[in-house]
Amino acid sequence: MPCERKPMRYGHSEGHTDVCFDDEGKCVVTCGSDGDVRIWESLDDDDPKSINVGEKVYSVGLKNGKLVTAVSNNTIQIHTFPEGDPDGILTRFTTNANHVTFNSSGSRVAAGSSDFIVKIVEVVDSSQQKTLRGHDAPILSVALDPSDEFLASSSCDGSVAVWSIESQTQVAQWQILQKSSDVSNAKSLCRLAWQPRSGKLLAVPVDLTIQLYDRNTWTHVSTLSDDLISQVVNVVVWSPCGKFLAAGTVGGNLLVWDVEAKLCIERQKHEKGFTVCGMAWHPSGGRIAYTDTEGCLGLLEGVPSSSSTVQSTKVSPKETHDYDDLFDEDDDRGLDEGMSDSRSPVKKPIMEEDDDDDDLMPATGRPRNRGSFLDDDDNSQDPSCVKLDGVPEEDGSSAILPAVGPAVSRPVYEGPMPTQPQRAFQPGSTPVHLMHRFMVWNSVGIVRGYNDDQDNAIDVEFHDTAIHHAMHLTNTLGHTMADLSQEAVLLACEGTEELASKIQCLHFSCWDTHKDWIVDLPKGEDVRTLCLGQGWAAVATSALMVRLFSVGGVQKEIFSLPGAVVCMAGHGEQLLIVYHRGTGFDGDQALGIQLLQLGHKRRQVIHGEPLPLSRKSYLAWMGFTAEGTPCCIDSEGVVRMLNRTLGNMWTPVCNTRDSCKSKSDHYWVVGVHENPQQLRCIPCKGARYPPTLPRPAVAVLPFNLPYCQTTTEKGQMEEQYWRSVLFQNHYGFLSSSGYEIDSEGQSRAEKEQQELLMKMFALSCKLEREFRCVELAEIMTHSVVTLAIRYASRSRRMALAQRLSELALEKASQIQEEEQEEEEPAYQRLICSSFEEMKLLLNFVFQEYLINIFKLQVSGAGKSSSSPAGQPRTTNVLDSMTMSNRKPAPLGSTSKQGKAPVLKPLAPKPKSKVHCVAQIQMFSSPAGSHTLPKTGFQLWLEENRKSILADNPDFEEMDVIKEGMGRFRTLSAEERLNWTERAKGDSDPKKRKREDEEGQVDEQTESDEGRTKKKKPLDTSAKLSAFAFNKE
Amino acid sequence: MDPAEVEFLAEKEMVKIIPNFSLDKIYLIGGDLGPFNPGLPVEVPVWLALNLKQRQKCRIVPPEWMDTDKLEEIREQERKLDTFTPIPSLYYMELTKLLLNHSADNIPKADEIRTLVKDIWDTRVAKLRLSADSFISQQEAHAQLDNLTLMEINTTRSFLLDSLNYMYKLRSNLQPGRSQDY
Repeated sequence: MPCERKPMRYGHSEGHTDVCFDDEGKCVVTCGSDGDVRIWESLDDDDPKSINVGEKVYSVGLKNGKLVTAVSNNTIQIHTFPEGDPDGILTRFTTNANHVTFNSSGSRVAAGSSDFIVKIVEVVDSSQQKTLRGHDAPILSVALDPSDEFLASSSCDGSVAVWSIESQTQVAQWQILQKSSDVSNAKSLCRLAWQPRSGKLLAVPVDLTIQLYDRNTWTHVSTLSDDLISQVVNVVVWSPCGKFLAAGTVGGNLLVWDVEAKLCIERQKHEKGFTVCGMAWHPSGGRIAYTDTEGCLGLLEGVPSSSSTVQSTKVSPKETHDYDDLFDEDDDRGLDEGMSDSRSPVKKPIMEEDDDDDDLMPATGRPRNRGSFLDDDDNSQDPSCVKLDGVPEEDGSSAILPAVGPAVSRPVYEGPMPTQPQRAFQPGSTPVHLMHRFMVWNSVGIVRGYNDDQDNAIDVEFHDTAIHHAMHLTNTLGHTMADLSQEAVLLACEGTEELASKIQCLHFSCWDTHKDWIVDLPKGEDVRTLCLGQGWAAVATSALMVRLFSVGGVQKEIFSLPGAVVCMAGHGEQLLIVYHRGTGFDGDQALGIQLLQLGHKRRQVIHGEPLPLSRKSYLAWMGFTAEGTPCCIDSEGVVRMLNRTLGNMWTPVCNTRDSCKSKSDHYWVVGVHENPQQLRCIPCKGARYPPTLPRPAVAVLPFNLPYCQTTTEKGQMEEQYWRSVLFQNHYGFLSSSGYEIDSEGQSRAEKEQQELLMKMFALSCKLEREFRCVELAEIMTHSVVTLAIRYASRSRRMALAQRLSELALEKASQIQEEEQEEEEPAYQRLICSSFEEMKLLLNFVFQEYLINIFKLQVSGAGKSSSSPAGQPRTTNVLDSMTMSNRKPAPLGSTSKQGKAPVLKPLAPKPKSKVHCVAQIQMFSSPAGSHTLPKTGFQLWLEENRKSILADNPDFEEMDVIKEGMGRFRTLSAEERLNWTERAKGDSDPKKRKREDEEGQVDEQTESDEGRTKKKKPLDTSAKLSAFAFNKE
Repeated sequence: MDPAEVEFLAEKEMVKIIPNFSLDKIYLIGGDLGPFNPGLPVEVPVWLALNLKQRQKCRIVPPEWMDTDKLEEIREQERKLDTFTPIPSLYYMELTKLLLNHSADNIPKADEIRTLVKDIWDTRVAKLRLSADSFISQQEAHAQLDNLTLMEINTTRSFLLDSLNYMYKLRSNLQPGRSQDY
């Protein structure tokens, strides 16, 4: 079962290192020759807590919140964990200790020093010490038996000894290691390890193998080796369950054996082949942390045997078992392991010991350090008995084991493990524990918090000094959260035992003299996160509530959230809330999101849908783009934006990690802009967060949608097109919510899109993908389709051109339909003017119609297609009408005038056409001699005239028609259609008549319907022939 | 050419600033600048950067090479080699002077940088003098010096040319017969 080797990361400066896990396995603790102990929350933790404990640290052990370190000033020190406060000196040697370790319960510490002495000290009372003398050389490693009976030690004198702690005498000794003069010369660190719980076996790294010694007889029972091992074994650690043994070698190999089967189940190689000098098994198994002599920290994930729980451990290692077997055995073993694992302090309950074979104590040790250990000489061990009171000690590795132990005792659960829910945070802030931190960095400004010895203060600075001058506030309340808008600064602190949680608002844009207000939250309710919008503030609290305030301090709505809040963001009238929707598993978070509109029409836009994040990541930033589109960024650096036109789905628009040069670099996002497309962020070298000093500079990243094959021209254009579409969505949103929009920018974006479509069209044409061409044409606007038709016919693809022209007609009819709705009010307006004028206007319109059609026939649609996308379509017929009204000689109209309408009348939809006709006839009839109602409206009007007159007896004819128009429009579509159907029968003659009257008779306009039908083919063929002509 | 002129030329170099005001693109004869967004770095010529800085309208982002580590490396290189090493900016001296005089508060470790640049300058000018000396003493007819900056050339130009002129006159007086060799 392959495990995953995570890439190494820098942990300490070069030199010897050691590693262990804390009891719960939440943190990895490392020490190094730089004298620091670092506490890593994960391998990706870019801001590990660093505790300086001395000049050099040789070994570290951690148990029950006590951190013991072997330091270069010859002492064993205790620090509290995780605070890192010094807690005294446990013991001293005449020279430095090389290895320090806890016993399984954490009550004792054992340390071996270069002055040949091993000491066992009670943690609570450092005066209770036992000293074991007998080795003739520096001690390499010590290990305390899980049952606190024995202590094993390895020394540079080439011996591995087992001591009875009670009598302080050696009970066994093996001369199995190579002698050396000092730890620095030893070939191996020879880290010993007792089998957890039972302590039946002692594992000793000897040369290229690991030898296991039995506890009862102190005899060698087995040897673990592997062909892969080319250099001596440095470190061995048992899995918390005691089933597996992991070893790290000088050559950088990492191996895991199933001890019972003597099977090497995992082989990994250090990525650079450096010497592994520290290893620790996670308390729950499953992963191994290791460090090398170059100061780097690495992690093996998914180590098969490692699970602390019995089941998991067994299951993974033994693939050969049936599931039933697995479970049975697992349980047994789990119990056993739990019991036998004396080192693990946590695991107290041992249910049963099934593994009796574990009695053997593995002891092998050949100390050869490549690492920077300090043991001294190569004296042979003295089997002299040293009486020690039971002093528990553990190696770094052993320390790990104890941690594992606790997990073991639990009932076995093998499924996905729940993820710790992420804490609430303010978007754009750096972690609270930093002394100098950004409380918020957004598009308005920066709020910095200082909390050091001299000062506890908050600095507010505005990017644009025109908003307000910079402010410096003393932070007497201890605010930890802040948000900043153009109007106000909102600060909040969590409550303490005496003081309630407070919200403070500096409303600097306020015009009266009281610029700030403070609100106390009810007792026991703490602010978790807050945000500011335009004229309002929102605060989410620990009581799963969101409280809204006006920016002046009036309390407004409160409402409950379905889960603990993660963060909030405000923009204009929009409020975005992210909360825990449930428990995530296997590193994933389960977040939900709500988007509320707080304006005059309050509503919820997103109703708590799940928020998509990358696998095993958490939310890192959440907010709005400058244009008001919600946007989120997860810890994997993926930026997602809400796509309002796609049912409020989230579209990934950028991955900031793609721009990072090294793995530990990050981009800390401070703002997203859609126009121009900018992702504003701060590059952080080797960290997730920027420092406040030197002042970081903002960089701009481009967006890049993860489309396929963006190296090809096609992929590139597709990406560009959809990016442009996505980033243009905000225009629609803004205009629908009544904001001003940059219409120039919008038309530019539209033009760009159409150009891209045309390019893609041309590309597909070149590749002879005609179907694809039509697909592309479907997304084009009507005017660009004509361009596409032209292109197709030029490249002699008549079939394609034919299809496209059909498409063009369809599109034209759609446009017509849309226009129809716009036209109606216009007509209404027109009714007010005299009918004579009306008639004149209509004449012009029809004239233009005909002229355009004529032009089409003669010269093709060339002109119209030449400036397709950018040309704003005249919105309705009336535009051209008014135009022609001013110039009563429409025949002389310029090509500019002709351009727009060319496309419009192409294929009027039957229904809308009829409607139009109806109106036209209505206008013309009073002027002409006709009294017969010929249109639906007229029919309807005849029938309803009386009722209108009855309602409004003083109406004139004009008013009646107006009123009638209004009423007619309120009828349902079917009804109106009905009327027009009824009118149809005798409409033809009438129309002809009208045209006669107008003196504009043309063959093509025999009747409106006839014209409509006729025009389609005419138009198409005209275009086609025009292109064919042009081609020559 | 006096140093002020060289400095004037250096003011055309581009430098990044972070404005604290908002302004659309401005169209100048030399090219378009901006748009200026508060908090967002933008490249402008040094003269504008300094002007804005003096009016407290921006912060100046020091050029990439204006960093103690990089300058130390250059200084070591400069000291090691006999020839002139390539310099990150042709106007390093002028820019250092201008930026440090006007916006030392925006440049981390300003004093160290000033010292380092001065060291580099001194080393280079010493080299220049040395090579001029050997040029004259060996009575060479021509010499090639790479990687010199305008300011460095300027410091030595008038003196070197004048002295060569005088020496030529003196020598031609002493050895009238050989004067045509020069």
